[in-house]
Amino acid sequence: MKIRGKKVSIFNLTLFLIFSLVLTACSPEESSGGGNAEGTTEITFWHGATDISLQALKKMVAAFEEKNPDIKVKMVYTEASEGADQKLLTAVAGGNPPDVALFDRFKVGTWAAQDALTDLTDMAAADDITEDIYYPYAWEEANYQGKLYGLPYTTDSRMLYYNKDHFEEAGLDPENPPKTVQELEAAAEKLTKKDGSRFKQIGFIPWYGQGWLYGWGWSFGGEFYNKETGEVTANDPKIVEALTWMADVAQKFGVEDIAGFESSAGSGAMDPFISGQISMKVDGNWTISAIEKYKPDLNYGVTPIPTPTGTDFTTWSGGHAVIIPKGAKNVEAAWEFVKFFGTEEGQEVYFAELPGDLSVIPTVNEKLGRGDNPMLKQFIDILPNSHSRPVIPEGQLMWNELVDARENTVRGKGTAQENLDKATEAVTKALEKYK
Amino acid sequence: MAEVTKGTRIQPSVGVKQKKLSTKSNLHGWLFASPWIIGLLVFFAFPLIASIYFSFTSYSILQPGEFVGFQNYHELFKDDLFWKSIYNTIYFTIFFVPLSIIFGVALAMMLNMKVKGMGIYRTIFFLPTLVPHVALAVLWMWLLNPGFGLINGILDMIGLQVPNWLGSETWSKPSLILMSLWGIGQSVIIYLAGLNDIPEEFYEAAEVDGANWWQKTRHVTLPLLTPVIFFNLVMGAIGAFQQFTLPYTMTQGQGTPANSLTFYVMHLYDNAFKFFKMGYASAMAWILFIIIMSLTAVIFMTSNRWVHYQGK
Amino acid sequence: MDPKVKIKVQKGFSHVGLIIASAFFIVPFIWMVSTSLKPITQVFSNPPEWIPKPFQWSSYLDAMDYIPFFTYLDNTVVITLLSTFGVVLSCPLVAYSFAKLEWKGRNVIFFITIAVMMIPGQVTMIPLFLIFNEIGWVGTNLPLIVPAFFGVPFYIFLLRQFFLGLPDTLRDAAKIDGASEFRIYWQIMLPLAKPAVLAVGLFQFMASWTDFIGPLLYLTDETQYTLSLGLQQFQTQMGTEWGLMMAVSTMMTVPIIILFFFLQKTFIKGIKFSGIK
Repeated sequence: MKIRGKKVSIFNLTLFLIFSLVLTACSPEESSGGGNAEGTTEITFWHGATDISLQALKKMVAAFEEKNPDIKVKMVYTEASEGADQKLLTAVAGGNPPDVALFDRFKVGTWAAQDALTDLTDMAAADDITEDIYYPYAWEEANYQGKLYGLPYTTDSRMLYYNKDHFEEAGLDPENPPKTVQELEAAAEKLTKKDGSRFKQIGFIPWYGQGWLYGWGWSFGGEFYNKETGEVTANDPKIVEALTWMADVAQKFGVEDIAGFESSAGSGAMDPFISGQISMKVDGNWTISAIEKYKPDLNYGVTPIPTPTGTDFTTWSGGHAVIIPKGAKNVEAAWEFVKFFGTEEGQEVYFAELPGDLSVIPTVNEKLGRGDNPMLKQFIDILPNSHSRPVIPEGQLMWNELVDARENTVRGKGTAQENLDKATEAVTKALEKYK
Repeated sequence: MAEVTKGTRIQPSVGVKQKKLSTKSNLHGWLFASPWIIGLLVFFAFPLIASIYFSFTSYSILQPGEFVGFQNYHELFKDDLFWKSIYNTIYFTIFFVPLSIIFGVALAMMLNMKVKGMGIYRTIFFLPTLVPHVALAVLWMWLLNPGFGLINGILDMIGLQVPNWLGSETWSKPSLILMSLWGIGQSVIIYLAGLNDIPEEFYEAAEVDGANWWQKTRHVTLPLLTPVIFFNLVMGAIGAFQQFTLPYTMTQGQGTPANSLTFYVMHLYDNAFKFFKMGYASAMAWILFIIIMSLTAVIFMTSNRWVHYQGK
Repeated sequence: MDPKVKIKVQKGFSHVGLIIASAFFIVPFIWMVSTSLKPITQVFSNPPEWIPKPFQWSSYLDAMDYIPFFTYLDNTVVITLLSTFGVVLSCPLVAYSFAKLEWKGRNVIFFITIAVMMIPGQVTMIPLFLIFNEIGWVGTNLPLIVPAFFGVPFYIFLLRQFFLGLPDTLRDAAKIDGASEFRIYWQIMLPLAKPAVLAVGLFQFMASWTDFIGPLLYLTDETQYTLSLGLQQFQTQMGTEWGLMMAVSTMMTVPIIILFFFLQKTFIKGIKFSGIK
């Protein structure tokens, strides 16, 4: 231990440095909730926006503040998915939530059933905000048991993307994409190039991208939930038919080989549709912007998701809502903000910055000329016929059960009927405790 | 847990310690341990006790719920995914923990040789632990891509049948185990620190006796490394049973394909934060506790047969 | 064989073995750095390209523009240094008492120390949050720093193993000389456990440096955010900005690599007790 003399001085120095850090850095800064001297109210607004969405949000907030000089909005980025949920959840549990938050509409049912959201029904009624200005499915998704828990703001829809070059190469007419599922299957066969167990090019994977069972179930004419009776109907014969069809396609091309392809396919620039590895896929309108960004010269088209009959095309839509968590300190000011963002005025400012995104208000999409983009127009045209997932307290469970049912069926573990019966039963049972 | 104290077992040569614990000795012990005892009381006691209580309720984080007795535990045993996740987790633990010890010790011994540029080699083995999980996940998918992935390219070259890795129920867990081995840099450091504590005299003595490399490893290095191996075994098991971030990131929380990557804590997490069944999740946590505890108890009980502390 | 030649051959083999193993371990890092230098269209090109063409340094500047890099860096440094300091101060002390001191209740407390690690953090997270909420620390960095000063079970267990490996003879000799228990710990035992203590310091440094969920839950103001929260912001609606994200990741690894490089030098084969025995 002859070395000690030298070491001690370095150690002391570090100690000193660290203590000086403690002194300077540890003082907690009280955030100034509530109001200040000039009578302005500050509301906290949690969001997960980044990049251009963040810029759009900032513009919208600025417009709001200009119109409401007595309200200041403090924006806080809180991640966009799992992390945001956890943060909001702990904050509500701790009684210290933000005044306003952005929130996947899909979760409104669950959170409202947990009494974690502020009921906005009366405030909306007093301010004359009704469902009339929104797409019907979007408004529906923001309501739980007849009460309004948020104002919807974004929406989307799903369509079939197809690679025109691949179509031509395979001798298919690129201007006449498949309309029925039979045509889709036939095209998929022609487009698939397989070398042993490896795909050089794959025509179509039904569940790839946004090809969730929800979409196919509705396209086949099924219904997942009976709003009147509150019954879960995931084993609706039409949905069974849809899933059986998906499993057939899987068998035809070899499910493990498809899964191998799929598990290594990524998003963004790695997306196999963009890199030309897959010829057709079901995906949302945001893919248009992604293609523009990563491969602007891709020769592709979009068409409604094929149905068994080649008519009655439909799709499903998700999107976000602006909500006020239970326990928010400044509900009145928060409502002013929610109202601004959720109606035409705020929507116009916000979506003007985001040319690839769709508003939940048809007139806003019209006014901003969304239909001028021929690709995007197709996504908008189908919105009036779109579906949204059932607003039930166990929405997430139902989602997971449907994914499991699809996964098991296509892998040959039980028939579509068996697996959907099981899913229906699981969700029905979980819903019992809310009755 | 008498075995735990083996290392400080009273030795005949140290007569001073044979008398009863003095007040002074007690005082010192408690004084030294006091930060942690306070920490336990302040930061651990309430959350742990609360979670035991929650496991008997229908607590949902947002709602206090009701007392339901053993209902959560009952339901668990009927939950297919619960069993599936136990299977997956045990599978992972059984393969990963021994592999990580074998590779960890071997790497540490390699990295303890006296060759030029060792600092650089050591740094390289440590590097993967610095790459964010999202990046590791996407890189792994890219390397395993059946179409153009690097790994399949190599396997192809030597003419092996290429598995579908993350797309196959059979290969998904081996892929994850392989990938997790990237992260053994931390345990390698612990082994290196352990090797560092082995007195040079022991090797010199062995050399005088004419021991070759293998004999030195077998009779000096490994026995004296056992305290650290023991640590890594216990912590490896605890960690492997709580495997979460990597498979969750890689499968976007879905545990695909066909739930073959749904690990115990992933299922727990979904129940706690997605289905609002914190009571149920807490019951899962305590069942996990019992499983890990039994395993750890076995490890501790056998430890006096194979763990050698040189402290005497 | 001539012993000199033998040693040379051995070393040659060692290098070959090390290089082969290194190839497997360096891949993630190379990918990270190379991605940070690539234009976005090249990141997932097919077939893969490992060397960026052309080298594009702009990701580094863009990334620092995209997030308030220096603010986040400051916050991260403060939290990391303080919590590392806390861990290095508290854990060896506690570990020492488990390994070398005899006291009533020691085995029970040690048992509890191991046991608390077996409950997944996911279920204790909310009650713990409520404690910090109650004492008004939510919205400050204190929940990310203060607990470190009270010890972390993983490190306590690790250091206990190291202290157990140190000969008692040293301690007994010092005792006969009349040294106090704390003096023995501070002047004799702690310096001997230095490599392990440094390793623990490094682990805590890394854990704190990259912690995501802690800062996410406890910090409520963007001016307090850390780099790991910044990394998250590169995930956009249109996918991940890999170039920018990897640029920040690469920058984040630099201090750890430097720390590691100095730390690993303390791991020299074979400790010499002869001087002190």
